[in-house]
Amino acid sequence: MVLVVAAACSSNGGTIDAADIDALPEATASDIEALLADSERPVVMNVWASWCIPCRSEAPLLAQAHTSFGDDIRFVGIDVRDSQSNAREFLAEFDLDIFEHYFDSTGVIPGAFGGRGVPLTFFFRQGGELSYLHFGVIDERTLAVHLDELTR
Amino acid sequence: MEFSLLGAALLAVAAVYAVIYWEAARGNAADCSKDLWDVALGSATAGLVTGRLAAMIIAGTNPLTNPGDILIVRSGVDTGWAAVGALVALAVISRRETVAVAAGLSAASLAGLGAWEAGCLVRDTCHGTVTELPWGISLGGSEIARHPVGIYTGLLFLLAALGVMWLKRRTQDPLLVAGFALAAVGAVRLATEPMRSALGSRPTGWYLAAIVVGLSVAVASRYRSQRAR
Repeated sequence: MVLVVAAACSSNGGTIDAADIDALPEATASDIEALLADSERPVVMNVWASWCIPCRSEAPLLAQAHTSFGDDIRFVGIDVRDSQSNAREFLAEFDLDIFEHYFDSTGVIPGAFGGRGVPLTFFFRQGGELSYLHFGVIDERTLAVHLDELTR
Repeated sequence: MEFSLLGAALLAVAAVYAVIYWEAARGNAADCSKDLWDVALGSATAGLVTGRLAAMIIAGTNPLTNPGDILIVRSGVDTGWAAVGALVALAVISRRETVAVAAGLSAASLAGLGAWEAGCLVRDTCHGTVTELPWGISLGGSEIARHPVGIYTGLLFLLAALGVMWLKRRTQDPLLVAGFALAAVGAVRLATEPMRSALGSRPTGWYLAAIVVGLSVAVASRYRSQRAR
């Protein structure tokens, strides 16, 4: 009962307005390959979509991970097979506009890196070498271990 | 779809069932009329749901407007609230026999927690913080050795379960057994927590609370039985 009351009282929105978020730039697999090669930091690339319920579930964790590791690791989001308006609402709801996101309307980018389905979380070492690919929702312990691995 | 989490959960359920069955066959069962297996399943389910709801609320997701998220257990279950939910459910289900049921389930619960932790082998999630110890394990493609913290925790829970079984044979006091078991859960998790990787705050307060409450119950029970003599 206490939990239900707490839930009813809890807000379900971020601190920013979706209208204040710019449209996500469209990207191709080669754009992301270039980004990985040029990045001066290791990269965590999360593949998400606003219609994906598990993605909603892991979104707060990614925001928390960025807060803890954002100085050492570059966080990149790839929004697949989505609409721009829904994507911006999703980012606003979870305050996920704190890191860069790209729009992949056809959903081909994950496949180019060996991924399939949504959500996916890729961990790339500096230079673009894939360290680990997590299929499905990622939990805090797994995320923390692989982030720690990238910083060493 | 990835089923490794389900595999670890099945290991835990099997361990709970095995210990209840093993103890019942050896006269080490709880002195109560309740079916321990039913209480265990009911309490575990209530704990899981409570812990998941708490994790969602803490993360800022409203379960009332996003009910589908409740099923995404993989993205987080709050340990402390899950334990509270399970204990409250146990008290509600067992009513006047709460202490006897808690004592009856204590060894089985510890074994179940141990099997759940050992399920990291199925999930490939045993890795903890970095270590130079020779038995450290590495993530695939890495040379960095890490504590196999899931194995440590699983073994410690198994040891605690054996301790509770031994205690149950030595004493007829269910409150002492239940208190000892609760303290053991907190102690095992507290001892292994520093070897786990985490993003945010750690549930250390919950573990300390379990130790304090468990030890207080055990000491009070011991004191009461000595005064009764």
